[in-house]
Amino acid sequence: MNKHTKVAFMVAPFLAVFGYIGADFYNEHQASKSKIVQLIPEGHCDIINQNCVLKSGDFKINISDKAGVTEVNSTFPLDSATLFLVDALDEMTAYPLGMQKSPYYWRSNTELRGLVSNKGESYKLRLIAKIKGGQYISEFYTQTTK
Amino acid sequence: MENKETYWSENLRLIFICLAIWFVVSFGLGLLLVEPLNAIRLGGYKLGFWFAQQGSIYSFLALIFWYGAKMNKLDKKYHAEG
Repeated sequence: MNKHTKVAFMVAPFLAVFGYIGADFYNEHQASKSKIVQLIPEGHCDIINQNCVLKSGDFKINISDKAGVTEVNSTFPLDSATLFLVDALDEMTAYPLGMQKSPYYWRSNTELRGLVSNKGESYKLRLIAKIKGGQYISEFYTQTTK
Repeated sequence: MENKETYWSENLRLIFICLAIWFVVSFGLGLLLVEPLNAIRLGGYKLGFWFAQQGSIYSFLALIFWYGAKMNKLDKKYHAEG
């Protein structure tokens, strides 16, 4: 190994650290830009039977309802989450969800279980989840299958 | 004196080439172009992800040895071994 290779080996870790810092700044800057991303249901959505996943790339949100408490669980930490129940006249009732043990879990008491408790019933919902200026939105239907 | 300056300018040229490749591989392929590259799969992994995790490091190692070899040649050319 000649002296130039030795010098290059000594310099390389500094370049790697600069690269890491630069990449971190770039990613943080990109993440803080305001953007709107649509979430799509992954297969059939049945919130009452704990089977409803919305996704966009690696980001997934699982929505479930237990005894009238609707819970949202996401793969990335959220800044806020709001669920809307949309009636037949397209009027919305907003349910701002409260954070539970961590920003991955959000929940609120909702009227959803009373509206779709029977098999075959469906209801329109909208969700807005915010992450660092980015908004993840979705309009979807839940249908009770059993 | 002229030889020393030419040696130094060739050395600088090599360093800038290395830095340009370093930038393209780490920031270009691993960050700026990560989404289009992720459409390509390499051994089951997304190519953009692979470059960010492993490809850039392999490239840096290759660059070190390439720079060493080129500088060795330059030393011989200008009789600068020592």
